[in-house]
Amino acid sequence: MPKVQFIDPTEVRKAGQIDLKPIPVNQYQKSVADEKDNYSKEELMGIYHDMVVIREFETMLNLIKTTGEYQGIAYNHPGPAHLSIGQEAAAVGMAYTLDVDDYIFGSHRSHGEILAKGLSAIKKLSDEQLTEIMDTHFDGATAAPVKKDHKGSVRELAIKFLLYGTLAEIFARETGFNKGLGGSMHAFFTPFGVYPNNAIVGGSGDIAVGAALYKKVNKKDGIVVANIGDASMACGPVWEGLSFAAMDQFEQLWEGAMKGGLPVVFNIMNNQYGMGGQTCGETMGYNVAARIGAGVNDDQMHAERVDGYNPLAVIDAYKRKRELLAQGKGPVLLDVLTYRYSGHSPSDASSYRSKEEVEAWEANDSIAWFGAELEKTGIATAEELEQIKSATAELMAYTMTLSIDDKVSPHMDVEKHPELLGDMMFSNESVDKMEDREPEVNHPYEENPRVKQLAKKERFMFNGDGKPFSKIKMYAYRDAIFEAIADRFYKDPTLVAYGEENRDWGGAFAVYRGLTEALPYHRLFNSPISEASIIGTAIGYAMCGGRVIPEIMYCDFLGRCGDEVFNQLPKWQAMSGNVIKMPVVIRVSVGSKYGAQHSQDWTSLCAHIPGLKVVFPSTPYDAKGLMNTALQGTDPVIFFESQRLYDMGEQFHKEGVPEGYYEIPMGEPDVKREGKDVTILTIGATLYRALEAADELEEKYGMSAEVIDARTLVPFNYEEVIESVKKTGRLVLSSDASARGSYLNDIARNITEMAFDYLDAPPVVVGSRNWITPAFELEEYFFPQKEWIIDAIHEKIVPLKGHVVKNNFTKNEQIRRNKLGV
Amino acid sequence: MAVPVIMPRQGQSVETCIIGEWYKKKGDEVKVGDILFSYETDKASFEEEAKEEGILLEVFFEEGDEVPVLVNVAVIGAAGESIDEFKPGGGDDVQQADVAAQEEIVVETEVKEETVVVREANSDERLKISPRAKNTAEKLGVDYQKVTGTGPEGRIIERDVEAAAKVLPRVTPLAKEIAKEEDLQTVTTGTGMGGRVTSADLVTTNQVYGDDFEIKKLPNIRKLIAKAMHSSLQNSAQLTHHMGADARNIMALRKSFKKKLEEGTISQNITINDLVCFAVIKALKNFPQVNSHFLGDSVKYFNKVHLGLAVDTDRGLMVPAVRNADDLSIEGLASQMKTVAEQCRKGSVNPELLNPEAASFTVSNLGNYGVEMFTPVINLPQSAILGVCTIVPRPTDLGGGVYGFAPFMGLSLTYDHRSLDGGEATLFLAEIRKQIENLSF
Repeated sequence: MPKVQFIDPTEVRKAGQIDLKPIPVNQYQKSVADEKDNYSKEELMGIYHDMVVIREFETMLNLIKTTGEYQGIAYNHPGPAHLSIGQEAAAVGMAYTLDVDDYIFGSHRSHGEILAKGLSAIKKLSDEQLTEIMDTHFDGATAAPVKKDHKGSVRELAIKFLLYGTLAEIFARETGFNKGLGGSMHAFFTPFGVYPNNAIVGGSGDIAVGAALYKKVNKKDGIVVANIGDASMACGPVWEGLSFAAMDQFEQLWEGAMKGGLPVVFNIMNNQYGMGGQTCGETMGYNVAARIGAGVNDDQMHAERVDGYNPLAVIDAYKRKRELLAQGKGPVLLDVLTYRYSGHSPSDASSYRSKEEVEAWEANDSIAWFGAELEKTGIATAEELEQIKSATAELMAYTMTLSIDDKVSPHMDVEKHPELLGDMMFSNESVDKMEDREPEVNHPYEENPRVKQLAKKERFMFNGDGKPFSKIKMYAYRDAIFEAIADRFYKDPTLVAYGEENRDWGGAFAVYRGLTEALPYHRLFNSPISEASIIGTAIGYAMCGGRVIPEIMYCDFLGRCGDEVFNQLPKWQAMSGNVIKMPVVIRVSVGSKYGAQHSQDWTSLCAHIPGLKVVFPSTPYDAKGLMNTALQGTDPVIFFESQRLYDMGEQFHKEGVPEGYYEIPMGEPDVKREGKDVTILTIGATLYRALEAADELEEKYGMSAEVIDARTLVPFNYEEVIESVKKTGRLVLSSDASARGSYLNDIARNITEMAFDYLDAPPVVVGSRNWITPAFELEEYFFPQKEWIIDAIHEKIVPLKGHVVKNNFTKNEQIRRNKLGV
Repeated sequence: MAVPVIMPRQGQSVETCIIGEWYKKKGDEVKVGDILFSYETDKASFEEEAKEEGILLEVFFEEGDEVPVLVNVAVIGAAGESIDEFKPGGGDDVQQADVAAQEEIVVETEVKEETVVVREANSDERLKISPRAKNTAEKLGVDYQKVTGTGPEGRIIERDVEAAAKVLPRVTPLAKEIAKEEDLQTVTTGTGMGGRVTSADLVTTNQVYGDDFEIKKLPNIRKLIAKAMHSSLQNSAQLTHHMGADARNIMALRKSFKKKLEEGTISQNITINDLVCFAVIKALKNFPQVNSHFLGDSVKYFNKVHLGLAVDTDRGLMVPAVRNADDLSIEGLASQMKTVAEQCRKGSVNPELLNPEAASFTVSNLGNYGVEMFTPVINLPQSAILGVCTIVPRPTDLGGGVYGFAPFMGLSLTYDHRSLDGGEATLFLAEIRKQIENLSF
């Protein structure tokens, strides 16, 4: 896209070949004896200790799950436990060199990584810092049980805190790291640099890239490690994360301090199985996962395979890769070979592998080997090692006893506080900027060419005589969105926006025209055509504390980022116990004219998912006000825009769209025209067809229609609609979403419940047909038209004198269509 | 040759009149001068006389109908003659001429033509009614079991209930129950909210002695007076000052005019009231701020005096104006006041003169009835009104320390305090007294 990059046909058409560099496999073959001068005893003992802690922790869970007790303490844990017994060296080696500021993201099998990184952070934090962290997390609620009766050092206390916080979280206790709302597969603790683990395979593959983007764009110290499994390497979103992280523009287009690759390590915890599928030999074709790096970029992602059964090999790799990242040569891919003795989960009978195989790996057990090495080199005695093991077992019994004590570690009391969980779904904060510093911009706001152009535009659609201004002169819907976003770019230094064709082109619908001039590359850039990475990275960016506007060019592409929009974005605020905020405003453009895969209104899908705010303004005034509100908030917002409306001027707010900043509260529907005989509620661009229907109802049938624009789907205040229905007794609901499963049905049902006694007929939903969206030429048979609304009123609500229907809204037809599923 | 009787036009601003009462009915013989019917404008009531002789062949409107002026009301002619050509505009034009006026009729027509409101009770079909219609039926006291639905699939919807409410007796649930228990009849229009038949209506209609009262619809003029009087007190700041004027002078003048009339030197009887009005006109010339209309944000000062005169008639109070009264001699004034009062009593007064805006000041004389003091109500937008009371003997300083009884006339000036202050009003009242006491010819 950028003009500065000339694609020279003579160059690119030349004959040649790609020479791959050799990919190192297990090149590090040193043992403790070889490295003992490079590590202190304490460090080596620490590695051993940390591995033992992880082993015991996982063993405890395994026993609880399989036998119902550990060390004679009985407990039933009904929830999940995906254990990593056998993978301890990989986890400890990965975490060993990481600073507190380095973030790790994980998978469903990340208990070991949480403990390894936590223990690593505890070693690096001062007593004061540790005390502060323990005292401030949920006001000391997580630390309180272990603090009581603690004798010993702050560091020892911090280890108890780490074990307890993690275990209580796994057991869904309110004192857990995330109030028990994350659980085994999602537990995390950001003060130790442990970022969300993810129950969706490969879920961290793009989110972690967003965290790296945050660190880079906001000049934060540290690197980011995405701990993902070998089986996740087949997941689309992981590839999208890899592609995003490896974009040439970081090196070739981003300027100054921003030049260079993202500080991210894709750390494949290669335990060689994906549930029961064997990756090498059965479900994948890479043989050695490190091979993948060679396909991603020229640097081959500096990929190599490391022996994850030797913690020193992993540490060595991290030391080397860290230097590359510091030089801006990320991303890095590490294939850390390991093995789990435990099944996928305790219910897994390991029918897919032989006993011999497991035993062979156990014979290579990293803890036994490392312990033997320590003994062999005279660094530790067998008693010392045994002492570590027995102390750990004792600590584990203590942690378990505390964690399962309902008095010390209660579950969230939803009976006493029924709305506790509800209150966590949204953070509902109002924040001008996520960080207080000067935003990086290329020129003052007033000097922006688009801003100057807008100053000359007419901010109300009609002149004094009621005639519309020409499109050239008229301030339109797209200008309103631009203004709100441009304003926020000058307020919030963390704000970035990206998506397909966002820079130079200014977005496919010219909303961002002028922003390219105003913003440096790292605040506005083109992403790959890769929706999962666009949203996934935005989630990671926001988790770390930034505000972000990712764009989905067509609503129909939401499916391409289904997991990110439906499973990740809406969940993390509540799953973190409200530790994390999620200021992500996804702009989604709803199309038309382009057929079945470019013209769908999927607002209902988003409204269905708890944890998302969903808005769909249909006027410039509403668009600017709602975008301002979305960008002022700290919650994920799916901001739908309509391609039918980008050129639309403001025809309701007589004073025109204000030049200054204003907010429109989310959830308040707006009466666009008052009436008394029938209420028409619309979502999105259908508003204008409803107004046409209202005109005709008035002219032909003397019926005055009240037209209400929902503006927001979630949240939604029903009061105004109820008032209207009390007045009119009749309700038609219309939007461009296909009628079956449309959110309008939800509104209709709620209104029926709440205003039943005022209804003169059941509310009627007029949605699009349950078909593919046909070509533009046939759209009038698919999308609700003014005639449909009138026909529906005539057929289902109140027969209109002399009206002749064009569409079949009879009960028989309704039954027939549903029988056929169309 | 049959001729139509039209609704006469009464004044420039009158567009429609309401038929009061028919004195002749269809088929009656009429002679020229027979009173056919009475009718009312929003200002006054009139009677229409027959101008032709013949048989009243047809009557197009009933009592209480509002009829546009110049529209045919009836036809007089010889027996057997066709009246078709006189039908007012073929019927439709009347409705179009004033749709608002015909609204009631239109609605009823619709009900009759388009909606079969009452359905057969033997229907086995499950009754379908919307919740809203059901609630409305309850509110209006409509028995929806008898209503036919026009909604989808025959559902009774709100409009059906509303239409039924116009034709079906509306009964409160209690009244319905009592009527059923005691086998009482319901009446068509009740005294409850929205004309509902309440239990009280059932009881009274079935009492042995019948009703102990009668409810009569207000004639138009009564409604107008009620509205004007109420509005006057609601919308202005009225208060009244009372003062007495020595009536010896004016009584002497009256006596001398009476003598002149008997002698034949004048032809017009001059009453005490005429003299008082004459004095008031003179006073008004000195107090232009009283000879005014208060218009809220401005005051309209009159260069001329248009004197309003409260006249008690059978139909109710009327206040015709004598225009340019300050140009008139005492005889002229007396003559015009007499004429206009008689026209009011006969109902032939020009409605324009009844407009409160036609007069700049009003005099209301209750002296003849022995009223000693009262608080007349201003005809807004006029700024004031003078009430003239009866003459009573009052102790007076006759000069030189001698006290005796002298006849005094009570004067009650009600003024709009928004327009005039108490001082001005008092000075004006004193000016009237002065004029009365010093009037000479």
